Amino acid sequence: MSKLTEKHNYKGTLVCVEGIDGSGKSTQLALLRDWLKSTGHDVIFTEWNSSELISQTTKLAKKKNMLSPRTFSLLHAVDFADRLKQVIDPALKAGFIVLADRYAYTAFARDVARGVDPQWVRNVYNFAIKPDLAIYFDIDPKNSMERICSNRAPKFYEAGMDLKLSNDPYESYMIFQGRVTKEYQKMVDEFGLIKLDAMDSIHSKQVRIREMLREVLNNKGVNI
Amino acid sequence: MTQFKTKHGYEGLLIVIEGTDGSGKSTQLQLLKKSIQAQSYGVIISEWKTSRLIANVIDDAKERNLLNATTYSLLYAADFADRLENTIIPALKSGFIVLLDRYYYTALARDVVRGQDIEWVKNLYDYAPEPDLIFYLDMPVDVLLKRIIGTTGLNYYESGRDVGFSSDFYKSFEIYQNKCLEQYEKMKSEYNFISIDGTKSIDEIHSIMNHEVQKILDSGVLY
Repeated sequence: MSKLTEKHNYKGTLVCVEGIDGSGKSTQLALLRDWLKSTGHDVIFTEWNSSELISQTTKLAKKKNMLSPRTFSLLHAVDFADRLKQVIDPALKAGFIVLADRYAYTAFARDVARGVDPQWVRNVYNFAIKPDLAIYFDIDPKNSMERICSNRAPKFYEAGMDLKLSNDPYESYMIFQGRVTKEYQKMVDEFGLIKLDAMDSIHSKQVRIREMLREVLNNKGVNI
Repeated sequence: MTQFKTKHGYEGLLIVIEGTDGSGKSTQLQLLKKSIQAQSYGVIISEWKTSRLIANVIDDAKERNLLNATTYSLLYAADFADRLENTIIPALKSGFIVLLDRYYYTALARDVVRGQDIEWVKNLYDYAPEPDLIFYLDMPVDVLLKRIIGTTGLNYYESGRDVGFSSDFYKSFEIYQNKCLEQYEKMKSEYNFISIDGTKSIDEIHSIMNHEVQKILDSGVLY
């Protein structure tokens, strides 16, 4: 049994954005945050791998290429659990709108693309709260690579170099992020992620997102 | 003699000593290591929470009281995964006898006492190879308490103070260790622990363990 498939009963609202790097998640979330703040709502922002407890260790271990798929998965789960209990859960109880840049779905996509068992990683995260709105920005790995690698090579784990798919980081990135994308696409049905085309304009995506959030909030009796 | 087959399919042997704090695990592990080495077998010891990756993080987080029940479980699981993949499995593959001070049974006991769902914890460790022998040093709480107070003293997490059983150190330790013992008690038959009375003398315990190990070695499994 997983909390991820049950509606939560908190006063607050949980919104998350998902998608591979360069899909425009953070831009959209920043726009949403400014809008919500300007309309006087209590907003909290939290992002993947940023907990006080473990994020520095994970970053260091990534730099040294010390992580196996299993330890990679578990360290990100530690980060997520820490933020969930310290930030997300209290904020939802207090009635905040919580904006999460990446959520458990990131782990399901990346870890499974690394060969971790899909059910295993879902069980690990079964304490995660189900978001009220989970948006997935769908982008072709090629477009994603053009956006993020215009002035640098893909990083080791980002390119899935740990899987030894190819010695060429660009080629490895394409294969690995292709796998990640496939996992995301499966989750559209499994978890009801709302798929948006990342290649649409910033404006048109933001309009869609505000519409959807407005509906979610109205259903909770919050006017916006 | 019937041919012994390892439970995990690797060349080496995986031998675990479990028990609560102060039950004498490390003493016995050292003795076992010596007696096995004396017979020209390759032996390594790996202890709980010693991974290069995050053992320090756990100590640091504990010191600053940063852990909740979930992060506590997950950090130990990450430590375990790192040691398993980098130390234990490579050694087993090369035919070593791997002696472990604690295995995931420790996590099962401690995490469940901290309120985690047992199935969730089992899932975290479900990929771990099954040991060939599991010794469990069974100790009554009153003896444990005396041993720990007489050596390291009561520490915060070993006393389960994070769980909030009692604000009294002694009381909290007693409740926490009793609850851990209950969990171990349940695991005895589920995982086929060889339970040894921990109040016996060091030599007596060693000879019981040695006898069990010798049976496997005599079967020629490592030739």
